[in-house]
Amino acid sequence: MNEISIAARDVILAFVDDEHLMGQQHTEWIGVAPFLEEDLAFASIGQDELGHAAMLLEALVGTDDADIDALAFYREASQWRSCALVEVTLPEWSDTLLRHWLYDAAEELRWQLFQGSSVQLLADISVRALSEERFHRQHGDALLDVLLRVDDAHDRIMASLHKVLPLALTMFDGAPSEADALVEGVISGSLISLLGDWQQRVDHRFGPVDWDQIVRPVLSQRKERHDDFAPLLARMLEVLDLDRTVTW
Amino acid sequence: MSLTEGSAIDMLRLEAQVHSAVSSVDDPEYPGISIVDLGLLETIHVEPDGSTVIGLIPTFSGCPALAIIADDVVAAVQEVADVSTCTVDWLSSPAWHADRISHEARSCLERKFTVAVQIGQRSTTCPLCASKTVEQSMFGPSRCRSVHTCTGCGETVEVLRG
Repeated sequence: MNEISIAARDVILAFVDDEHLMGQQHTEWIGVAPFLEEDLAFASIGQDELGHAAMLLEALVGTDDADIDALAFYREASQWRSCALVEVTLPEWSDTLLRHWLYDAAEELRWQLFQGSSVQLLADISVRALSEERFHRQHGDALLDVLLRVDDAHDRIMASLHKVLPLALTMFDGAPSEADALVEGVISGSLISLLGDWQQRVDHRFGPVDWDQIVRPVLSQRKERHDDFAPLLARMLEVLDLDRTVTW
Repeated sequence: MSLTEGSAIDMLRLEAQVHSAVSSVDDPEYPGISIVDLGLLETIHVEPDGSTVIGLIPTFSGCPALAIIADDVVAAVQEVADVSTCTVDWLSSPAWHADRISHEARSCLERKFTVAVQIGQRSTTCPLCASKTVEQSMFGPSRCRSVHTCTGCGETVEVLRG
């Protein structure tokens, strides 16, 4: 669409890919989450993240299914703009729960960057997304409120926190044209500008983290993929590739 | 009757007919409850040539029923004489909230489906005995519903919120 510049497309795509893969990762816990309420929660939260990705994809290419699929699924790995946190496979439930909390704590801040966007559509979408996001935050906090009070659960949560934190820092890696998007007013700040607020949220939730001790990930402006990306994408395409022309 | 040179009154009449057609479409999850009463209808644009655009908003962005609802709306509106074409536009704004649900739809949800509607963070009461309900699971059988139990009669109550 005409009003979306190359720089805007770049930052939107970074959000699309994160939301899309996060949604996919959540859906992979349906049926195997440790108890029914979490099964339902991950199904619903995953559905929201996929919905957010779909709204942003429509902002980029319009409503034609084939165009959306081409952008959402059939790009070269180097053309994706997701971060390692959403690409990695986490077989441990506690790691997944931590990823959910850490991701949503940042996602809320990311939508706020779009609130006053020069692209009106993004500003509109951010209002809806933010009203949905508060349920995700409430869910993660309600569960952690309970688990952090139990000794062995507390220890597992804290171990998972330190395992997932280096990956979570990849969320703040900006897409290649982010600086231009900032100048154009598409976003009101860079992803890295959110790091301080997010770290405060983490400290407030889990107790002060010694951030100097957390291994800093190597950042690539989102051009490089984690090893788990290829098998993840293969799982996502398994059904679609049976017949790309079918209407669901 | 052609509306190519239609009077203002004819246009208003046609818009009312289109509104009525959209109102006849029920939510796929709640047969008997109109999408208009659930607050999904935002705009109706009818041109003198009969082309019609219906602006709807989704309850939640990931709602899987959107395509079904859009198809049902198009089918219903195209039944209206003088409508030449109908398209559905899912609007990016405003965001849906539970307070868009009409009083009638709330009563029907309570009576027919034992579903209570939660506005904002307000507490909810049991549709059967009016006692307070307590949340058991933040997410329920669909994205927009949580699961509560009634502190009075013990009934399981689904709570629609947003």
